[in-house]
Amino acid sequence: MKGSFRQSMKWLHTWVGLVVGWILVFMFITGTAGYFDDEITRWMEPERPLTATHIDKSKLLDISQHYLETHVKNAKEWRVILPNSRDANLKVMWQEQPEEGKRFGKFSTKVLDTDTGLAIDNLRETAGGRTLYRMHYRLHYMPSIVAYWIVGFCTMLMLIAVITGVIFHKKIFSDFFTFRAKKGLIGWLDIHNVLSVTAIPFHFMITYSGLIFFLTTYMILSVNIGITETQKDKYFNEVFPRTVEVEKSDDYQPLASLSDMYAKSHKYWQEDTLAYVKVEYPLDKNARVKFTRWNTDLTYNPDDELFFSGETGKLLDIAAKQVTMSGQIHRGFISLHEGLFASPMVRWLYLIIGLMGTGMIASGLILWTTKRKPKQMKNTNGPDFGYRLVEQLNIGTIVGFPIAVAMYFWANRLLPVEMENRAEWEIHCLFISWALLLIYPAFRSGLVAWFEQLKIAAFVFCFIPVLNFITTDKHLGISLPLRDWNYAGFDLVMLVIGVAFAFTAYKVKKHIPVAQKSHAKLTKNDIENKVTDETISTLAATKETS
Amino acid sequence: MFNVITTRKFTKFYFTNPRWWVFSRVMAAIFAGYALATTSSLFLGQLLLQSMGEYQAFHIGLLLSFLIYSCGAMWVFSVSTAKKAWGGLISLNLIFMALTWLLMQVNS
Repeated sequence: MKGSFRQSMKWLHTWVGLVVGWILVFMFITGTAGYFDDEITRWMEPERPLTATHIDKSKLLDISQHYLETHVKNAKEWRVILPNSRDANLKVMWQEQPEEGKRFGKFSTKVLDTDTGLAIDNLRETAGGRTLYRMHYRLHYMPSIVAYWIVGFCTMLMLIAVITGVIFHKKIFSDFFTFRAKKGLIGWLDIHNVLSVTAIPFHFMITYSGLIFFLTTYMILSVNIGITETQKDKYFNEVFPRTVEVEKSDDYQPLASLSDMYAKSHKYWQEDTLAYVKVEYPLDKNARVKFTRWNTDLTYNPDDELFFSGETGKLLDIAAKQVTMSGQIHRGFISLHEGLFASPMVRWLYLIIGLMGTGMIASGLILWTTKRKPKQMKNTNGPDFGYRLVEQLNIGTIVGFPIAVAMYFWANRLLPVEMENRAEWEIHCLFISWALLLIYPAFRSGLVAWFEQLKIAAFVFCFIPVLNFITTDKHLGISLPLRDWNYAGFDLVMLVIGVAFAFTAYKVKKHIPVAQKSHAKLTKNDIENKVTDETISTLAATKETS
Repeated sequence: MFNVITTRKFTKFYFTNPRWWVFSRVMAAIFAGYALATTSSLFLGQLLLQSMGEYQAFHIGLLLSFLIYSCGAMWVFSVSTAKKAWGGLISLNLIFMALTWLLMQVNS
């Protein structure tokens, strides 16, 4: 379409990246935060006690079992989630009996106080890290099916952008080692290249696996033509086999001791690898207990699960699920995407690469405007609508959305604890702030808006630890000496992000012409002066790159 | 907006009304590309049926469909005219459909 194949791919790369770039930034930021959703939720529930680890697991199992037996009698399922490196608190979950015609009942979660054995009931209502993560694939304020299709469309364009980016890139290896920290076009091009090329396997994996999550939703036409309604169940069973389900007997039977089962599990597992316990049909004669340890395999390892009879507490011999080759590939991609298997080190790596992905898209978007700036500035009527729109969306999303996320955390600390629909209002706060920050750049000239929003971002992130200090009794001075790294870590990470924004703001400030700093709005004279300076340097840059 | 990205070097490849031709290609990439993803996945489901078993073959077809979709979409923007793009994708779709039908006869 544009001469050579490579030129066409370059054109395609530019435009598929641009049209959905801002939604992709949103998805990358929320998705990256999702790797730490448990840690975020923990910070958003400051009423929980600091650190509950170093207590023997069999004692924790006794506490949980006692709590569930006395408080949750008629449930379809109990779960005990033991303290781990991501969440130091003991949690119990249960699923109520499903209503007629439904497969799942209502889920509830309680955090237990290991000293009293009772649930901590004064937790504030919060949307938590889970909701932030859910926006990553489910957006908000719309039916989930609509969200899935929008997300799928954006992901598909991202996949095309990744592939075309690799194709038109001539010197993929030499560019890896070329980083020219210059301002203007070349600088942004190099940033974009480095961020993309260094993590290209991750970018491909995360995009492709994102599509696989909703495989049968997106390829609905294939599914409807390819297999019949009766075949669908068989298809799903083969792709995602489940262990034989338990039948309910309706005869009451107290549950055998979980801690005894834990003692038995030592014969098969090394100590302290138990992650969570699931009891199907508790207090029923047919109750079955499943012990799951930390995943040792990317896809499925039958040795990670142990089954016990709830009545006798004896180990049950349950046949391992038969996983097919294609099912393994499918699961492999999904668990790579979710990163649930990740140890703390790998989880941090996920965070860093996730941020690199965000930076890749952000720098690509900025590159689009940088490249067109010299020509746009020459226009007698100023830059045209398309250019201004892109620049405004860039500022409002790349800096604006992080601020909105910070406001989500602010809302958690500042909204009255007894407020109705509190969790929903935390989310409203996020989107209201984002909307305002998207509109704001329309009233300022480009660089000034960048600078001002970066300043706001630096302030709101740096202030989060302070806000935590003011509103709770668990500030850094307390959480650090106790070495509650999850709780203190959140405050520290916010501080680091804030400092990073402050540094960027400082860098941007240097590029703002003096006249603009005082007047903010560009006079025609300024534009002309600026254009002559910048056109020469950027035109030279364009020639060099093309 | 498109005149921004048109440099003199490539003007001769543009049509009298370039925006409509670009729009036409976008439509071809989205819809004919999706159709291609569908027909190719059905074809793969039939092609691998003997060796992989019914459901796995179908599943592999679905897994590969996104890659075929992106290749189709990229091809749409690489050919010289939008008409060629539509023609190519439609004929590929027809070929996959015919092959799937043939394989269904063989497999049953």
